[in-house]
Amino acid sequence: MSRDTLVSFEGVVKTFGGFVAVKKLDFEIKKGEFLAIMGSSGCGKTTTLRMLAGLEAPTEGVIRLSGKPINDLPTWSRDTPMVWQSLALFPFLNVRENVEFALKMRGVGKAERRRRAEQWLDRMQITEFAERNISQLSGGQRQRVALARSLVVEPEILLLDEPLSALDAALKVRMQSVLKNLQRETGITFVYVTHSQSEAFSMADRVVIMSRGVIEQIGTPQEIYRTPRTRFVADFLGSSNLFSGKVRSGTVGFELDAAVGTLRLASPATVGETATLTVLDTKTHLSTTAPAGSVNAVPVKVIGEEFVGATATVYLETAQGQEIRVQKSHDELTGLPLGIGQPLYVWWNPEDGHLVGEG
Amino acid sequence: MRRPITLYGLTFSLPLLIWQVLFFVFPLLFLVALSFWTVKNFVMSPDFDTVNWTTMYGRAVFWQAYGNTLALAAAAAVLTSIFAFPASYAIAFKMSDTARRWAVFLMVIPFFTSYLVRIYSWQIFLSDNGIINVILGWIGLGPFQMLNTVGATMIGYLTLAFPLVVLLQLFSLVFIDRTLIEAAHNMRCGRLRTVFEVVIPSARTGLVIAALFCFILAFGDFVSPVYLGGGEPTTLSILITDTTKSGQQWPRAAVIALTMIGTLMVVAFAAVKFAYKGKSK
Amino acid sequence: MSGSFDMNRNRAVDWALVVYVVLAYVFVFAPIAASFVFSFNSDRFPSIPLGEFSLDWYRAVATDPLVWEGARNTLFVGVIVGICSTALGFGAAYTDYRYKFAGKQVYLALALLPPTIPVIILGLAMLAYLSRINLSGNALSVIISHVVVCAPFAMAIIRLRLSQMDPALEPAAWNLGASEWMAMRHVIVPFCAPAIFGALFITMAVSFDEFAVAWFVSGLNETLPVKVLGFLQGQVSPRINAIGTFVFILSMTLVILAQLLLSGRGAKPADQE
Repeated sequence: MSRDTLVSFEGVVKTFGGFVAVKKLDFEIKKGEFLAIMGSSGCGKTTTLRMLAGLEAPTEGVIRLSGKPINDLPTWSRDTPMVWQSLALFPFLNVRENVEFALKMRGVGKAERRRRAEQWLDRMQITEFAERNISQLSGGQRQRVALARSLVVEPEILLLDEPLSALDAALKVRMQSVLKNLQRETGITFVYVTHSQSEAFSMADRVVIMSRGVIEQIGTPQEIYRTPRTRFVADFLGSSNLFSGKVRSGTVGFELDAAVGTLRLASPATVGETATLTVLDTKTHLSTTAPAGSVNAVPVKVIGEEFVGATATVYLETAQGQEIRVQKSHDELTGLPLGIGQPLYVWWNPEDGHLVGEG
Repeated sequence: MRRPITLYGLTFSLPLLIWQVLFFVFPLLFLVALSFWTVKNFVMSPDFDTVNWTTMYGRAVFWQAYGNTLALAAAAAVLTSIFAFPASYAIAFKMSDTARRWAVFLMVIPFFTSYLVRIYSWQIFLSDNGIINVILGWIGLGPFQMLNTVGATMIGYLTLAFPLVVLLQLFSLVFIDRTLIEAAHNMRCGRLRTVFEVVIPSARTGLVIAALFCFILAFGDFVSPVYLGGGEPTTLSILITDTTKSGQQWPRAAVIALTMIGTLMVVAFAAVKFAYKGKSK
Repeated sequence: MSGSFDMNRNRAVDWALVVYVVLAYVFVFAPIAASFVFSFNSDRFPSIPLGEFSLDWYRAVATDPLVWEGARNTLFVGVIVGICSTALGFGAAYTDYRYKFAGKQVYLALALLPPTIPVIILGLAMLAYLSRINLSGNALSVIISHVVVCAPFAMAIIRLRLSQMDPALEPAAWNLGASEWMAMRHVIVPFCAPAIFGALFITMAVSFDEFAVAWFVSGLNETLPVKVLGFLQGQVSPRINAIGTFVFILSMTLVILAQLLLSGRGAKPADQE
C-alpha cells in the first residue's frame, strides 16, 4: 500500500442471504482524488459505498481507512459522511440546525457549533436561508445544505450516493462544477456513486466501472473511453460499435472473422481466440462508394437518424441485421444521402479499432 | 450496521412483547385452563374436568343461543355491507377530494362517541312513545312495537359497525385503478354491470374484510341484543354476561367464550381465504 | 378525479347516490344529535314534541358524587393508559420499522390482534386471569386491560408516521456521528412527535369510551362508561345524555387535537424533492 492511499478494499465480499451483492473487491482510493463508481442498478456500487460508510458490514475481507481496518467500527464512529440520493435532510430542523447536526452529535459547544456552521453556510452560499425550513428550499439549495451538513466536520473523505439524480439537466451540470470545484479547493477525497456516465466522466479523476458485484475496469475517464478493457465496459459506455469473431492471421497482420466480414486488426492478438473489436462511433465514417485503401468497410443501409445539439447519430444496419452507429457533426454529413433504406458504406481505420476480452 | 440483538433494539421491542404475553396471551390461555376447573358451593377450584364442556354442550339453550348469534351476526354482516356499499361507492367515485376527506372525517367521529349513549338514544327513537312512533302518529299510523325486536337489535349492530364498514369499503374502492372502469365502459359494459363485473371484484378483498369485521363486532356485542332487542333472542354474549355476573360459573362462561373464539377463528380464516382467493397477495 | 368519465354519468343516478349518502350520515348522526338535544330537555321520558329547555340533567349529574368518582377514575385510567399504550405502541412500531427477525409475524400479530377479540371475551379472560393473580377489582386492572386494547392503536398510528419517513434519515444521523440512542432522540422522536401525541390522545379517547372490559374487571372502581351501563340497566334516565354529551365533547376535543397534530404543519411527509 502506497503512502497516498486513503482507503483500501482487500478481498471484500458482501452477501445478503443468498444474494451476492459484491463478489470480491480489491482496490484503493487515493488521498485527495475524485473517484466515481459507476454501473447500472444492482451492480454493487451502492453496497460498496455503504460498506465504506459503515452502514453495511462486509461478509468477508477488510476495509482500511488510513491503514486501519474499520470493519468493526460503527458508522457513527467513522468520519465518513455521506450525501444521500434523497439527501436525507432532517425535515423538522431548519437549515442551520441541519448543518450543525454532526457537530452537536460530537458534543461541540453551542458557540463553536454556530461558528463552524456559519463558515459552511457561507461557503455554500446558503447563509440567507439559514433559518428556513427544508421544505421551503429549491432542489439546488437542498444540495448545498446536504453538502454543508456533511462537510462541516471537515472529514478526509466524502461519500456521495447519486446526489444529483433528482435535479433537472441544467441544474445538474451546474452542481457538477460546484462539486468539482469544492473537491479541488478542499482536497477532500470524494467517492461518487452514479449510474450516469456524463456525471462520472466530467467530474472524476478516476472511474471504477462495476458489474454484477465485480470491478470491470478502473482508470481515468480518458483511458476507459478510449480503451475499454472488456466487452461489458464498451457495451455499457454505449459509444462504441462492437464486432465479435475469431482471430486469425491474415495477409498483412491479424484479422477478425466477424459476421459482417473480415476486419483488419491494427494490433497483435492470439490466433484462434474469440474476441470483440470496438470502434468508437465518432471514429466511424460514411461514404456512398466502397472506400479504397487499407481500411475496414462494411456495406450497410440507413435505418434512422437522431440529432442531439450539434451532432447527429446515423443508425445503420448490416445485411446480417447488426446495428451500427456513426456520430458526426452536421457539416460532415451534408451531401450524404440519408433517406431510410439508402445503401452506404461504413468504414474506419484499423488503428481506431480496439480489441477487448469477452468478459 | 445491523447486529441481530442489541440492548437498544430490545428496549423498544421487548416491553410490548412482555405486556401482550402477560396480559393478552396468558389470560386467553388461562381461559382454556379455567374451562376445566370445577365449581363447588360457589367456590372454584383448579381441576381437570370436562364437566363444563359436557354440561354446556349438552344444553339446548346453548345451541339455540349459538344458532341465534351466528344468524344475527351473519345477517348483520350482509345487511351492513349492502347498506354501506352505495354510500362507500358514492364517496369513492362521485365526490371531490375535499368532500371525500370530510366524509371520512365525519365517519370517524362515531368511533369516539360512546356506543352506550348511542344505543340509549336509539331507545328514544324506537320506544312505543318514541320519536318515530310520534311522527307516524301524525300521519295516522302506528304505534308499532319497534323496541325489543330483532329489527332493533339489527339497528344496534348497524350503529356499531356501519361507520367501520363504510371506511373499510371506501379504503378498498379508492385504490381501484380508474382506468379499469373506463376500460369497462369502453367495452360497452353498462354502469350497473360495471359495478358488479369490475368494481366489486376489484375491491373484493376490502369488502370481505369489512364484512368480517362487522361479523366479529356483532358476534361479540351484548349491548344491542340486551338494550334494543330486549334480551330476545338470547345470544352467546348475553349468556356469557349472565353466567359470569350471576353466580361463580366462570368455567362455564369460559366454555362459551372459547367456543366463540373457535367460531370466530374459523369464520375469519374462511373469510380471509375467500378474500385473497386467486390473488398472490 | 372522476371527471374523466363525465360523459358516462347519469344525473339521476348521481342524485340518488347523493341522497343515499346524506341518509347514511343521518342514520349515523341521528343518535348522536338526539343525545345532545335531549340532554337539554326537561322531559323524564324524552320524545317529541320537545319539552322545555333545562339543565336539570347536567345538574343531576354534577351533584351525583358517584358520577364524579367515575369521572375521576376515567380520567386517571385514561391518562395512564394513554401514556403506557403510546410508549408500548411506539416501541412496537419502531421495531417493525427497523428490524427483521424470525417470528416477526407472531410479534406483529400480538401487537395488532387484541382489538379484534370481542371485548366481552377479553373482559371475561381478564377478569378470570387478573383475579387469579390478585390484580382484579381495582383501577390497575382496568389500566392493564385497556393498555392491551389501546397499544395496537398507538402502534398503528405511529407506524404509519414512520412509513412516511425517508428511510435514509436514521442512517444519515448515524453517519453524521449520532449513536443509535442519539439518533432516536434527535431524529426518530422529533419526526414522530405529531404521531406520538396523536396516539396519546386517541388511546385516551378509546379508554374513555370503553365499557365492556372495564365493566368486567373494574369492581368498585367503576369508570364513567361503566356507570352509564349501570344507568342503562337501571332506570332509564336522560342523565345518560348529559354524560354522553360531556364525554363526547371531551373525546372530540382529543380527537381534533390529534387530527390537527397528525395533519398539521411539520407533520408533512419528508419531501423527497
